Amino acid sequence: MKRKILCSVLAIMMASSLMACGSSQSTGGDDSTVTEGATQGDMDDAVITIWSPSDKESIENWWAEKIDEWNTAHPDMKAAREAIDRSDSYAYDNKIATAVTSNSLPSIFFVDGPQVSYYAANGLIVPITDYFSDSIDDFDPATQAQCTYEGELYAISATQSGVAFYYNKDLLKECGVDTDDLDSRTIDNPITWSEMAEIAEKCTTDSYVGTHIIMDHGEGIPYALEPMYISEGKDYISDDGTTADGYVNSDESVKTTAFLADLIAKGYANVDPITDEFLNGACATELGGSWDVATLEANATFDWGVTYYPVADDTRKAVSPCGDWSAAVSKDCENVEATGEFLKWLMNTENVASYADAIAKPATRASAYDEECMASYAEGPRALFVEQLQNSAAPRPRTPSYATFSTDYAEAMSNIFSEAASTKAVDESYIKEQLDSVADSFAEDYNTYYAN
Amino acid sequence: MAKTEQKSGRKRDERIAGYVFSLPAVALLIAFLVVPIIYTVYYSVFQYQVMRPNDITFIGFENYHKLITDSDFWISLKNTFYFTIIVVPVQCALALTLAMLVSKKFKGVSVFRTMYFSPQLTSMVVIAVLWTVLYNSNPNTGLINALLVNLGLEPINFLTNERTAMNSIIFMSAWQGAGYQMMIFLAGLQGIPRDQYEAASVDGATPWQQFCFVTIPNLKGTIKYVIMITMIQAMKLFTQPYVMTQGGPRNSTKTMVYYIYTQGFQKGNFGYACSVAAVFFVIVVAMSLILQKITSEE
Repeated sequence: MKRKILCSVLAIMMASSLMACGSSQSTGGDDSTVTEGATQGDMDDAVITIWSPSDKESIENWWAEKIDEWNTAHPDMKAAREAIDRSDSYAYDNKIATAVTSNSLPSIFFVDGPQVSYYAANGLIVPITDYFSDSIDDFDPATQAQCTYEGELYAISATQSGVAFYYNKDLLKECGVDTDDLDSRTIDNPITWSEMAEIAEKCTTDSYVGTHIIMDHGEGIPYALEPMYISEGKDYISDDGTTADGYVNSDESVKTTAFLADLIAKGYANVDPITDEFLNGACATELGGSWDVATLEANATFDWGVTYYPVADDTRKAVSPCGDWSAAVSKDCENVEATGEFLKWLMNTENVASYADAIAKPATRASAYDEECMASYAEGPRALFVEQLQNSAAPRPRTPSYATFSTDYAEAMSNIFSEAASTKAVDESYIKEQLDSVADSFAEDYNTYYAN
Repeated sequence: MAKTEQKSGRKRDERIAGYVFSLPAVALLIAFLVVPIIYTVYYSVFQYQVMRPNDITFIGFENYHKLITDSDFWISLKNTFYFTIIVVPVQCALALTLAMLVSKKFKGVSVFRTMYFSPQLTSMVVIAVLWTVLYNSNPNTGLINALLVNLGLEPINFLTNERTAMNSIIFMSAWQGAGYQMMIFLAGLQGIPRDQYEAASVDGATPWQQFCFVTIPNLKGTIKYVIMITMIQAMKLFTQPYVMTQGGPRNSTKTMVYYIYTQGFQKGNFGYACSVAAVFFVIVVAMSLILQKITSEE
C-alpha cells in the first residue's frame, strides 16, 4: 500500500514537472536579450555589467554605441549591457528579485524612481554621492529628490518623464470643444478636473470615448494619478514614508478616486483601454506620458495638442508626475571604483543629451539642453513637459514599502474602476473600503520589515 | 549451478542498467522538484523579505497561522477550485468530442486535427493578450462585443465584471487546452479494436450505445490520465489571470499560483509565499491521490 502511495506521489510529481516544463514554454521562455553587439560571453567577461529595461530600436542602438565607445577607451574595464523585458507590468522587478535571492545582481541595474528607496533601505544598492558631488546641482531637483534616500544619493537618471493632457483636435472640434482655449492654457492656468470631465462628456460618442486615464495595470496607475491626489490636498503616503493611513484613505483621496471612477462609470473612459488608445482614435483625450510626443509626431494621422496636467477645482494647485528609470550600483558589484567611473561618464552632459534624444524624454541635466540634439525641447509639446517638470513635478513617495503600496494601490484602483464600470455608479463606501485595505497592507509591510 | 549464477548475474546487470537509465530522470527530479519543495517548506517557517536575504528570522508556524486568517488565501483557493471543477469536465468533454470527430477518415481530416491542435503551439501569453482584445468591453475595440452590439444585444464587461471574468478565462482556457487532450484521446480511440464496434453493430447497438459501452470502457485508462493532467494544469492556473485580469476584478480571478506570485515576487513576502506554496502542494497531491483512488475503484 505504502509502495503504491509512493508510486502515486512520484507519478504526480513527474506529471507536475512535465506540466511545469510545458508552462515555461507558455510564458515565453527567457525574458532578456543582450544588447546588439554584445554577447552572453561579453556579459561574462565584462568588468562592469548593466541591466536596464529593453526599449525601442533607437535606444538599443544608443546603448550599443556607448558600450563600444567605453570599451574602446577602457579595454581593461569592459562593460556589457543586458536588456530586460519590462512587459508593462512588474516583470523587470521580478527579475531583480530573483537575482537578489541568488546574489547575482549586475554591477549596475536600472530601477524605477520610487523603487530607489525600497532598494536602498534593503541594502541592495550602494551610495554614489561621491561620484556626483561636482555635478549633482546640474540635475533637476525632482531627480535629486527621487534618487536620494536618508541623505545619500543612491541612483542617478539621465531622463525625466511627465504626464499631461493630450487632445485630438479633430475629434474635439467634431464635438464642439474649443481647442484654441486648450492651446492657450499656461502653467498658471491649467484645465481643472471639472473642465476635463466636461470635455470627456462632450467627446464620448458611439465611435470613441472622451478620455483615457488607465496607463497600464502596474506602476502606471500610481504614477499617472498621484498628482490628482496631491492637488486635492493629500498624497498617497506621509512625507516621511512611514504611513499611508490618513493619506491614501483620507477624505480627499476618496473624493479624488470617486472623480476618476465617475469617468469610468459614466462611460467617458474605458475600464480596459486598448494599447495606444489615443493614437488609434479610440479616445478623444488622454492623460499621456511625455514619451507619447515622439510616437504621435511619427504616427498620428490627426491634429493633436497637449496641455498641462489638470488641477483640482478647489485648490487649483498644479502638480505633475515625474520620475524615470535610474542607474544604481548594486551590492554585488565587485569593482565599485570602475563602476562609479563608468556611471559618471555615462551621465555626463553629452551622454545625457544623446540618451534623452534617443529615448525621446526630457533630460535631467540643465546643461544637456544646450546640446544641439536637444533643440526640439526649446518649444512646442516637449518644451511644455520641461516647463511642467521645472515648476510642478512631484516625485513619488520615498518609502521602503513602495513595492507593496504600488501593487495594492494598482489592484484597489482596478477593483474600483471595474465596480464603477459594472454598476455604472460610484460607491464611495466601496472606495473607502478598498483604500483602507491599501493603508492596512502598507502598515503591515512597513511595521514588519522597516519600523525598527 | 553455473546456469543459476549466470541467471542471477544477468538479473543484477539488468538491475544496474535500470538504475543507470533512470538516473538522469531521477537526478533532474531531485534537482528541480524535490530540492525546491524542501526549500519551500524550510523557508515557510521564516520571516523572509525577498529583498532582505541577510535578515531572515525564524518564526515557527506564524506564516501558517496568518494563512488561516487570510481572506485572500481562501478566495484564491476557492477560485482555483472553481476553475478546476468547471474546466476539467468541459475541456475533457470538448477534447473527446473533437477527437471523435477527427478520428473519422475523411478528406482533409489532418487539416482539422492541425487546426484544433494549433492553439497548443502558441504561447499562452500571446493567446491571453489576443483574447483580452477580443473580450474588450468597448464595442469599438472588442470584437466579441462588436458582434453582440450588431446583433442588438448589450455589450458585456467580460473581464471587468466579477461575475463574468473567471468564466471568460475558463472559456478561453478550455479552447486553448482542448487540442492537446484531443491528441491523447485520438491515440486512445485509434487503439480500440474495430471488431468490437462491428460486433456491437451486429447486435443492434445504436451509435450512442456503442459510445457508452465500447468507446468509454476502452478509453478508461486514457480518460484517467487526461483528467489527472488537466486537473494538475488547472490547479496551477497563472498566465491567464496574470495577463488578462491581474487577479481582479474584486479578486474574482485571483488563483493560488497568482497569489503566491504576488506575495513572493511583487510584495517580496517570500516566507509567507512559501507557506502558501507548501499548503498548495499538499492540496494538489491530496487531490491527485483522491482522484486516482476514485478512478482505480471504478
